[in-house]
Amino acid sequence: MRIVRSNETKTCVDGSLLKEFVLDEPLTPGFLIFLQAFGTVKEYPHMKRPYFSFEQEHFLSIKGFSGDTSIEVRYKKEGIGLTGDYFHLLLYYFREGDPGKAKMLGIAGSIREKMKVRLPPEDKERVP
Amino acid sequence: MQREDPGNASGRDSATPLVYLNNAATTWPKPRGVLSAVEECLRTPFFEQGRSTAGSAIDYLAAAREALAGLFRAERPDHMIFTRSATDSLNLLIHGFVSHENRPFHAITTELEHNSVLRPLHTLAAKGKITLSVVPFSEGHVSLSAIKAAVCPETRLVVMSHGSNVLGSLQDIRPIAEYCRANDLFLIVDGAQTAGQIPIDISEIPAGAFVFTGHKALFGLPGTGGFYLDDPEAIDPVQQGGTGTDSRSLFQPEGMPQKFEAGTHNYPGLASLLAGIRFIREEGQEKVARRCRDLTATFVRELSRDKNIVLYAPAPELPVVPFNIRNLDNDETGYILAKAYNIITRTGLHCAPLVHERIDGGSGCVRASMSYLNTEEECRAAAGAIREVAENADR
Repeated sequence: MRIVRSNETKTCVDGSLLKEFVLDEPLTPGFLIFLQAFGTVKEYPHMKRPYFSFEQEHFLSIKGFSGDTSIEVRYKKEGIGLTGDYFHLLLYYFREGDPGKAKMLGIAGSIREKMKVRLPPEDKERVP
Repeated sequence: MQREDPGNASGRDSATPLVYLNNAATTWPKPRGVLSAVEECLRTPFFEQGRSTAGSAIDYLAAAREALAGLFRAERPDHMIFTRSATDSLNLLIHGFVSHENRPFHAITTELEHNSVLRPLHTLAAKGKITLSVVPFSEGHVSLSAIKAAVCPETRLVVMSHGSNVLGSLQDIRPIAEYCRANDLFLIVDGAQTAGQIPIDISEIPAGAFVFTGHKALFGLPGTGGFYLDDPEAIDPVQQGGTGTDSRSLFQPEGMPQKFEAGTHNYPGLASLLAGIRFIREEGQEKVARRCRDLTATFVRELSRDKNIVLYAPAPELPVVPFNIRNLDNDETGYILAKAYNIITRTGLHCAPLVHERIDGGSGCVRASMSYLNTEEECRAAAGAIREVAENADR
């Protein structure tokens, strides 16, 4: 999957940055399984359209519908600057399957370490 | 009833008709007369008193002042001041009052307020220009006794909303205004949610100032708003500039309304506001209020059947219905309603953080808000969709 365009960017109440992306192909159940390696995926398959959400506590959250080409990504305030490419990389490494998952976990670890360096001491312990 | 066909203005799902329930933010659609008034205004040169020899046939400023004074039963149209929003009005009034007092004093506001009240007051408190008490609400209402309990010898200013933008509660403002008048407290009433929504009789509310916005229930464009000021001597003008009058003077004119209106007005906006007020007068303010009450009651009745829907105001007095669905964040609910059902609501804190600390622990909620131009069919359809989402979130 690739991003075709970004439809909307806005800053949310909590300071997070929300972007709506349009993908070149619909989101698949396989992508949701891939996401499970990096955070919490909630699925509501009985909704009028099968809704899902993904939460990576410190980086971003994602909302969308399976089978849709539109997706909403919310970059958490504390990670902005480090996580700008994270969603793009998720899409890229999804193509590679399990090897991609391992690479992506490595990238996530690297982002966490950088976040710890940037965060004030009291917040460092919050980033696992 | 005049109504433009909303069509698929959101561009979301052409198969499903758009249901717009974010009218407490900005009403949509606008009456047909509002759209044509803006077009007519833009087709002709603006009538600018004292500034131009060429002018249109309509003096939008004077006509809108007269129309508002008539709608609100205000005695003096020239005390009706135009600004760009309720937020602009509240800032002009609060900072203008502080400037006029010219020494620190105590101010009172309430937990129900919008950030357009809370932020100016807290900014002034942080600078040591005022001390501030925030009065709690009970079941959506602020009582006179709660205001009285907060008053101290240094109190000079009270700022409070007429209607809550989150809970849809309507304050019994008259006794509070009478108490403030009797005790020499300047009362600013934020009528952003009530102006055009319910009958307002300013002559019966002895407040220092009544604030309105044009783009909500008055059906005007965003960028319009204002306030009615009873005593111009109580407020310093915090903006200075061209008025087209007394131009040799290097100071702001003292006369009304020029004392508080600097710069070129938003003529297309005022044309829309004038048309919006005329629409309300033609339909009847009582009829507008009654219809919105009925739509709200239908909507609430439909939602109250469902155990998976948390209603924060079981009987709102204004067409504002705050709710959450169990097992979903408010922004998820709003997202699903918008994308899967083409229903537009608003989610989050609604710029009223203290209300949310009380009702939902500060995490926010979904707000559905109706206008006179919504239909019962739309309200039933939206309620049905919300119940469907709630049911499926619980599976």
